[in-house]
Amino acid sequence: MNAPGHPASVVAVALVVLATVLVGGFGLRISRTTSDFYVASRTVRPRLNAAAISGEYLSAASFLGIAGLVLVHGPDMLWYPVGYTAGYLLLLIFVAAPLRRSGAYTLPDFAEGRLESRQVRRLVSVFVVGAGWLYLVPQLQGAGLTLRILTGAPGWLGDVLVASVVVLAVAAGGMRSITFVQVFQYWLKLTALLVPAIFLVLAWQGDGQPRVSFDEQASAFRADHPLYATYGLIVATFLGTMGLPHVVVRFYTSPNGRDARRTTVAVLALVGLFYLLPPVYGALGRLYAPELIHGGDADAAVLLLPARVIGGLGGDLLGALVAGGAFAAFLSTASGLTMAVAGVITQDVLPSRGVRHFRVATVLAIAVPLAGSLLVSRVPVADAVGMAFAVSASSFCPLLVLGIWWRRLTPPGAIAGLLLGGGSALLSVAITVSGAVRPPGWPHALLAWPAVWSVPVGFLAMILVSLATPGRIPPGTNAAMTRFHLPEALTSGRGR
Amino acid sequence: MTGAAVGVIAVLALLLFGTGFLLGRTARPVRPSDVGTPVEHATFETLHTASLAAPPLRAGLTEESARRSARRLRSLLGTNALCLTDRDRVLVWDGEGDHHGTDVMQHVRELLASGRDTAFRSDCGDLDCPLRWAVAVPLTVDHRVLGTLVAYAPRESAVLARAAGEVARWVCVQLELAELDRSRTQLIEAEIKALRAQISPHFVFNSLAAIASFVRTDPEQARELLLEFADFTRYSFRKHGEFTTLADELHSIDQYLALVRARFGERLSVTLQVAPEVLPVALPFLCLQPLVENAVKHGLEGAVTRSRITISALDAGAEAEVVIEDDGTGMEPERLRRILRGEGDASTGIGLLNVDERLRQVYGDDYGLVIETGVGAGMRITLRLPKYRAGVHGS
Amino acid sequence: MSAESTPRREVVTGEPRRVRPLPRYRAQSEIDEQTALGGAYVRSLMRSQLRAGLTAFAGLALAAGTLPLVFEALHSNAVVWAVLGFATYPPLTLAGWWYVRRAERNERDFARLVEGRPAP
Repeated sequence: MNAPGHPASVVAVALVVLATVLVGGFGLRISRTTSDFYVASRTVRPRLNAAAISGEYLSAASFLGIAGLVLVHGPDMLWYPVGYTAGYLLLLIFVAAPLRRSGAYTLPDFAEGRLESRQVRRLVSVFVVGAGWLYLVPQLQGAGLTLRILTGAPGWLGDVLVASVVVLAVAAGGMRSITFVQVFQYWLKLTALLVPAIFLVLAWQGDGQPRVSFDEQASAFRADHPLYATYGLIVATFLGTMGLPHVVVRFYTSPNGRDARRTTVAVLALVGLFYLLPPVYGALGRLYAPELIHGGDADAAVLLLPARVIGGLGGDLLGALVAGGAFAAFLSTASGLTMAVAGVITQDVLPSRGVRHFRVATVLAIAVPLAGSLLVSRVPVADAVGMAFAVSASSFCPLLVLGIWWRRLTPPGAIAGLLLGGGSALLSVAITVSGAVRPPGWPHALLAWPAVWSVPVGFLAMILVSLATPGRIPPGTNAAMTRFHLPEALTSGRGR
Repeated sequence: MTGAAVGVIAVLALLLFGTGFLLGRTARPVRPSDVGTPVEHATFETLHTASLAAPPLRAGLTEESARRSARRLRSLLGTNALCLTDRDRVLVWDGEGDHHGTDVMQHVRELLASGRDTAFRSDCGDLDCPLRWAVAVPLTVDHRVLGTLVAYAPRESAVLARAAGEVARWVCVQLELAELDRSRTQLIEAEIKALRAQISPHFVFNSLAAIASFVRTDPEQARELLLEFADFTRYSFRKHGEFTTLADELHSIDQYLALVRARFGERLSVTLQVAPEVLPVALPFLCLQPLVENAVKHGLEGAVTRSRITISALDAGAEAEVVIEDDGTGMEPERLRRILRGEGDASTGIGLLNVDERLRQVYGDDYGLVIETGVGAGMRITLRLPKYRAGVHGS
Repeated sequence: MSAESTPRREVVTGEPRRVRPLPRYRAQSEIDEQTALGGAYVRSLMRSQLRAGLTAFAGLALAAGTLPLVFEALHSNAVVWAVLGFATYPPLTLAGWWYVRRAERNERDFARLVEGRPAP
């Protein structure tokens, strides 16, 4: 793949990086030094917070991966964006308000607060770090791919670049107003896909609207048990969203449970709006970049199309816009995840606490996935992200749903569910990535899309072991349940 | 493929059937009417009565509390007579037929021995007496029987037996809480009393004087300041809760500063810089305010003509970092060290010591105050607040 | 940071008190919340909220469970394209909106019941 990028693209990437650091570090310091804004406006409004959550959530998998998968495997892959969106509906109906009311900042906080057990807390921390790392690898790989397409630089350079920018930004304290950075990046990402898409569709109409054909199915990778894979994908993405570390952390910013709910609905709308776009690139890529079907770099379709279809200076500029958007995607998700993982590492892994340790933790949080992204063979970005969702769905989903709605959950039950459900999902993913089981065949399908069986295993283990250990129900369970579900009108009204 | 596909489809069909079944079950029950059915109104009545009976019981099981709650409890049960006892004697008799009070302790003693609900016939020989049957239920806290609740009726009634059991259990919860209340009040009072004393008469006097000075020249301003003053004192003197949120604490500080500015005008300039992400953080009540008062005092002490105070609350991952800085007279480091050891003179720095101690108590030794200062060099106080700590919930 | 006038500052901290933070699992404020309203009432609120959630979930599960089978049967890319590419997002958002309204109404009803306010 040696499509030489235009200098404009490199400039666009540099601008995005710079803008991210600047908005985070200084933007607010200048404009808001009077007291009234912050204290009077009291916390972040749902719509602003929703744009921030969406900005953090729309990752490389969304920006590049979906189009690539649709291009190669056809419209069945549209289950990915549907799942990424529907995950928020489940988050909304089972988790959003109670989680906010619990006061937890991270998932380990929630586990400790609900189950009153340090052991469960530590185990959850391990899974948060694991899922976070799993999710970070494809972000870094996507960055490497983008930079290679744009400049012809070796693949590892982009990985290292994004990792260093994240570490620098966090270490310099430049991410202090992260909400506004993420809001900015959501709109940047939307614009970066929307504007070129309009031009692409116009060009396609100018061509006489040739039909997109999906008859030629590409790889044997998936064709083996497509129906099972689809269900695996649905279960993982629908149930996995609620446990993603960087998503959970953002709900803390909502002032209360009611706002957390309203925020989530707004996220549904914003994320859904964004996901109307990647399929357009997938379909047109099938038409205008058919060689990607058999090459390894289908994820590059979004980046290549503007130059390919429109050409000239216009194509280059649109290409630059897309490249900038792609980098915004890597940076926002990677920094959000790194912060969340680093937070857990400082609290639960490193021996002593302090600001300096947070910086050490940041380096640790991104160094491991960086090594992973350089060593592990490239899996399609969206597939790799799907695996992180599967782990989250089999461990955190049972913990959250049962923790919030079921009084009889016990610490031993939670541990059993996490180990059996989450552990088996993690193991399957590890085996798949290591390539020990080769396609085709059921073993491969079961291991590559574990959620169908690992989620029920997680739930069952949690329920059965909890029922078997009724003596271990935490004494504060009723108090916790009350706090989770009681509307704010009744708790805060007495204060003033 | 086929075998597996059939399997998958079979599982799905089952799932679908299951969800349909669930839907049918969950969708059917009648939704409570918004204006309330007779049943709901009865429930509401009951709730209301229970709420009226609760406050006296929160003082524990005494003659006084029994007397004040008995009538409510009886109307809750709808019986002819109700009696509350402790282990030795009748505390209160509510309703008719109080001559039964003499023999009730005999049944109570049986109950105390067994520790279980009992029912007994109560024939007193008086043909007009409507009380023929009674149910007695123990009131237990931490497995100790503190007393009993006895309900009387004209005839045997399973409904009353059940209802008396439920009401007794509810009373037990109230009594249990009374015990917790007692230890809790001691703890909080000790912690906060010192701080409330910190809101000095001087501040109150000066604020009111400043407000008074505006009454003629700028009535609108005076009115606003008075409202700020009322709000500020209400927050500082509030009765409940050991913890608050950063948003509330900063709001109160904002009001305090408005009052101070009204008095000192141009001499004091304040910059408040808060990252919205940290506003929901929970922290011990009145933790920042003494520090800000301290900064104001230091800033305006001596011959300083203008003073500048910066308050910032920033997001630092799993913690919030709050910094309060002034460019005032500062303090001799050795003297400050003595104050933080608790050896300082009583007039200064009680606020600093108290805040430092409470932070350490709640979050651990790693989270004490970090203060940078020198004589004539101003002061910079840094606090770190974890975003989550089990049991710390702002309300 | 206004560091111009501060060359002679020294860092001062209190001495470690060797206090272990109080175990606060059963913090007082929580119990306060619990009694003011009573556990049983909270349970009924939970049931009504769970019912709303399960209703929305059942709808979603029904759609997500059957659609892949329908697509398999139809063998038409155009349908898959139209449904998954565009048609799913509005219903998802609407379902979320419906749930929020329902959940907030449940909470309002509950608050009214507990606080003894008359029905509006």
